[in-house]
Parts: sequence; structure tokens; C-alpha cells
Amino acid sequence: MTLQAESQPSDGAPPAGPQTGGPRPLGEVALSFENISMQFPDGTQALEDVSLTIRQNEFVSVVGPSGCGKSTLLKIASGLFPQTSGIVKVDREQLGYTFQDATLMPWRKVRGNVELLMELRGYSKAERKRIALEQIKMVGLDGFADHYPKRLSGGMRMRASLARSLALKPNVFMFDEPFGALDEITRERLNDELVSLFMRNSFTGLFITHSIPEAVYLSSKVVVMSRRPGRILKEFDIPFAYPRDPNLRFSAEFAALCNEISVSLRQAIEQ
Amino acid sequence: MTQAPAPKLTDHQPVPVSAPSGALKNLMLLLVPPIILFSMFLILYAMVRANLQEHRQFLMPSGAELWANAFGRPEVLAELAQRSLITIGIALTGLSISIPVGILLGVIMFRATILERAMFPNLVALQSIPTLAIIPLIQTALGFGTLPKVLIVAKFTMFAIPITLLLGLKSVDRGIINLFRLQGASWRTTLVKACFPSAAPALFAGLRIAASLAVISAIVSELFFLAGRGGLGQMIINSKIDFKYEQMYAALITATFLSVCVYIAFTWLGHRLFSDWHESGGKEN
Ligand SMILES: Nc1ncnc2c1ncn2[C@@H]1O[C@H](COP(=O)(O)OP(=O)(O)OP(=O)(O)O)[C@@H](O)[C@H]1O
Ligand SMILES: [Mg+2]
Repeated sequence: MTLQAESQPSDGAPPAGPQTGGPRPLGEVALSFENISMQFPDGTQALEDVSLTIRQNEFVSVVGPSGCGKSTLLKIASGLFPQTSGIVKVDREQLGYTFQDATLMPWRKVRGNVELLMELRGYSKAERKRIALEQIKMVGLDGFADHYPKRLSGGMRMRASLARSLALKPNVFMFDEPFGALDEITRERLNDELVSLFMRNSFTGLFITHSIPEAVYLSSKVVVMSRRPGRILKEFDIPFAYPRDPNLRFSAEFAALCNEISVSLRQAIEQ
Repeated sequence: MTQAPAPKLTDHQPVPVSAPSGALKNLMLLLVPPIILFSMFLILYAMVRANLQEHRQFLMPSGAELWANAFGRPEVLAELAQRSLITIGIALTGLSISIPVGILLGVIMFRATILERAMFPNLVALQSIPTLAIIPLIQTALGFGTLPKVLIVAKFTMFAIPITLLLGLKSVDRGIINLFRLQGASWRTTLVKACFPSAAPALFAGLRIAASLAVISAIVSELFFLAGRGGLGQMIINSKIDFKYEQMYAALITATFLSVCVYIAFTWLGHRLFSDWHESGGKEN
């Protein structure tokens, strides 16, 4: 990694909880926001003094009111536009990013779209094809590799977009509400896929969602943001061990944690 | 609490989905409406002609006269074919200049806003120079050969190309551009892989306009640069001098036919290229 933030003492022992597997060892800092503020040229103050550190093998979800600057935070991390003040530390070479919109190229079939990033990175043709088909299958789009985006449903487009980012196997992965348009069952299935992917590839995740259960199920930490201008109000450590048992969703601890976050989010919206 | 009024329910029956129509039916649907409209124009023509004084009816020849003095005569047909080739040659050569030049100009304007600001007003100015007014100048400078005719066609057909291309290039999805930026793609890669495909349908709209102007401008150029054995334009002038109005009409009809053919060719090509993915494409979901 080219990122060099001095390694800091880890925040205490790995969280306790109903564990079914070993705790994931937290590593070096993989992505950090230090006192980020963002004011758009039109005067909109989107973020105010946001500090957030994500370590290797951590999976952090962000929930917050609509328009509070969550997408803006990811755009700043990726370098799409510069923050007004503060510092971002990240290895952008190893950064995966799925946008809030599927952003597929209408003139390319699904496979061509999934191959795009690999193409821009100079992968060989055969390799592109192999990985693309693999990822298309992963997100449950097999049989649709030769469809144009205009013939896919909104959820299917999003899955194609996800496959495109996954193909590069980045170390740090940012997701901007990737499953917002999906039905509950597909969403849960993809959540499980994401967790197992997270386990297999030991990537670091920053995930934005409006679904609190989804955030809790996926993450090792959930961050609640305030209304615009976005600030970080509260961080919740999620104590459940990986890999996560799909039945976790029905446990009392899970429900209690979701409740707690929900209350906090409601406060964020109402204050 | 007062009772809410009973809702007014209407039965909505399923709408039968028409079976995919055959090629023949599609062709009929494509051809019949314009033919009907065209027939109405013919009737209008006949009515106007019927009301013309007898000694002026030569201005609007009847079908029978057209056949007897033009389309029914092999030597006239041969002349039409030969001259069509010349005219279409001028038109296509002109397009083969205006299309690449127009695309190049569009790309240059897209490269930087400052270039667009510099070039756009000049393009408009160039376009608004009345061609007729500079014809004497062109005649003196370039003579009466093929070159000035081709250049006139190029001038006529060029304008729509950079304008539509630029519009298309600029309306490429920002998100797609962001994808390329995040991978550190060069401007050229972005242009070729994102902007051009996205702009292609708009460009083709411009090409269709250019194509439909090409034959007309070739004929206009011939009217002013009579030399050697010319194309349909020259035939129009000759037949006026010889008082052969049926042949003049024959040349006009042939020119229109050529124009429509060039237009259809470009439309067909655009359809072939984009109908799979573009919203304007004919194919149903
Ligand atoms: N390019 C821009 N110029 C000006 N203001 C912007 C720009 N992009 C975003 N904003 C504003 O910044 C704020 C945060 O936007 P952002 O897209 O980050 O919200 P969000 O938290 O992702 O919301 P959602 O959950 O609805 O996606 C909004 O008020 C938005 O209007
Ligand atoms: Mg957003």
C-alpha cells in the first residue's frame, strides 16, 4: 500500500459478542478522513468537520438523512472532487467505487460494461472475459451477459454495476447505496454474497445505505451522520463475528442494535 | 363520520398484444402512409394544372407527357442515368470532405471551451455567407472544374456535422466520464470509448441532414459551373434552353429520388448501428 498513515494503537480489544468465528484482525489504516469539510461553489455546505478512520478488514456503514453528504464523502475519497478543507488518506490505485446510479454504458452489453474498468487498466482480452463472466455469475446475472442495459430492470443494472467494480478486486471498496433499488430477498442474498466476498478477499469496506438492518448485518462499525451539513454523530461497534449467520437477522441482539441505531438516526433527523 | 361516496370503478380489459408483424407487413406500414400522402400531392398538382390556362400548361407536364417525352424514351433514361452518376459523384465527394472535416471541427471544439468559443461564431459566420454571393469569386479562383462544385457541396453540408457532434459529445453521462477519470484514462481514451459512442446517434442525425443537402447542393453548384458534360443540374438548364420541360421535370424527379436514396442510406446505417441500444432505436424493449 502506498498509503502511509502512522499506525495508531487499536481501540482496545476486539468487541465481544455472540461469536461464531474468530475476530478479524484489524490492520493498518486503509482510509481516513481527517476534519473534512466540504462547501460547494454554490455555497452549499455539505460536510462539516468529518473525521473517520477505517482500518484494513473493517467494514463501515454510514447511515444518515438524505442529502446529508454521504455521497459527497465518497466522491471526496475517490478524488472526483476536492474537499474544501481537511485531509483524506487512501491508496486510490486500490480503491473500488460503485456509484449511487448504475452508470452503465448503454451501447455496451452487460459483459462489455463489466469489462470496462479492466479494459482501462489494460487487462488482456481473455482475462477480461473470464473475470467478467465470473462476476456476472456472482451477482446473479448469468444469462444476461449479452443483454443491453436498456433491457435490464433497475436492480439488475445495479448488479451489473457492482460486478464491474468487483472485477478489479480492490483493497478498499466504497459502495454508495448499491442495493437501494433491490427487493428484500435479493438484497439479503447479495448482502450474504458481500459478506463472503469480504471474508475471502479481505477488503476494507465503506458502505452507504438507508437500511439499518443491512448496515448492521454487513458491518463491523455503523456510523450515523447528522443532517446537512453532515457531521458524524455516533459510531456503533457491531460485535457479531464474521462470517455472519443469515439467521443473525432474527436474533434479539441484532434487533436491539438496530433499534438503538434507529433511535440515534431519528434524533439526527429531528434535531 | 360521513360515508365516502362509492368509488366509480371502470373495467379495464386486457389489451391483446399484437403478434410480431411480419417483414411484409412492416414494409407496408413503412411505405403506405407516405405513398398516400404523396398521392394527395399528385392530386393537388393535377388540380392546379387543370386550372392553368392552356398555353401555360407546359409548366406542369402531365404524367402522359412525362412518359412520352422523358421516362418512356430510352435515350432520355440513359442520359438521366449518366448525369445522375455525375451528380451523385459530386455529392458524395463533397460529403467525403465535409464529414471528416466536420467531425474534426466538432472534436476540436469539444477539446476545450476556449476553442469552442473561438470557433463556434466563426462557423456560424461561415455558414451564413451566401454561397451565391461568392460564386463569382470561386469561378475566378478555381475555374469551372469539379473542384469548386465539390467545395460548394462541402460548404453546404458541413455545418450540421460539428454542431450535432458537439452537442452529442457534451451530453455524455457525467457518471461515465467519472468512471474513466477514476481509472486515470487519458482524454483520447475517454473520447474514443465514452464520448464518441455516446455522441454517435446525435452525429448521425447531423449526417442525415448533411446527406439530404448533398444532392441538392451538387445540383445548385452545377447550375453555376456549367462545364463539360455535367450532371442533372446541367440537364435542367439545357432542357429549359431547349424548351423541353418534360425533361426538366424528369431531371428534377431523378434528383429528388437520389436525394431520398442518400438520406435513406444514412438513416438505415444509423439504425443498423444504434437500434440495439439507443432509445431512438426502433426495436421494442
Ligand atoms: N455538485 C454539487 N453542487 C452543489 N451542491 C451539491 C453538489 N453535489 C451535492 N450537493 C449538495 O450536497 C448535499 C449532499 O449531497 P449528497 O449527494 O452527498 O447527499 P447524500 O447524503 O448522498 O444523499 P442521498 O442519501 O439522498 O443520496 C446535498 O444537499 C446536495 O444538494
Ligand atoms: Mg447519495
